[in-house]
Amino acid sequence: MEIRIGDEAPDFEGQAYHQGKIKTLRLSQYRKKWIVLFFYPGDFTYV
Amino acid sequence: MAAVAVKYPAFQELGAEVLAVSVDSVNTHQEWQERELSRMVKGGARYPMISDPEGKIGRLFGVYDAKTGLDLRSHFLIDPQGIVQAMEIVSAPIGRNISEVLRQLRALQRYAATGDYIPCGWEPGKPTLTKSSDASSTSGKVWEIWKPRNAF
Repeated sequence: MEIRIGDEAPDFEGQAYHQGKIKTLRLSQYRKKWIVLFFYPGDFTYV
Repeated sequence: MAAVAVKYPAFQELGAEVLAVSVDSVNTHQEWQERELSRMVKGGARYPMISDPEGKIGRLFGVYDAKTGLDLRSHFLIDPQGIVQAMEIVSAPIGRNISEVLRQLRALQRYAATGDYIPCGWEPGKPTLTKSSDASSTSGKVWEIWKPRNAF
């Protein structure tokens, strides 16, 4: 899969740790907002 | 991601939501938050930290590296209509520049709001190229309205 500028971002669902809770979230629930989606290789590393 | 946590209020001021994804489990995310991030940044990471254990999300965005089994360091700026407007992928050992991510977001929002073109190195307060100075009317005349020093 390759993303190009101008493509619709593929929706996904995942488990998240957020402010002390574990929850399931979907990318599409943030539609209508700008989203900054960061991927990173692993916890306990620097940005 | 601690640097993202520091700048999280700036992203919020711009009306953006930050989501972080790695192949770590949610339990590891929690452990990192409690043992380290919350010590480095007040409140730690207040954005959702998503678990992508099999790299499914990373594959959707083309950033899953099967050789290492990790999601590559990258970011995607997605507009309110769900369209990808910017992206960057960096080799794992190299850290990002979060100020640059913020700048890209501000630039995209300025363009979306005004239709003005955003020159190299633009920051808020610096000139944009207005619609009336579009390519057809400025061809050969950019030197009159934009100086290289504006890029830095």
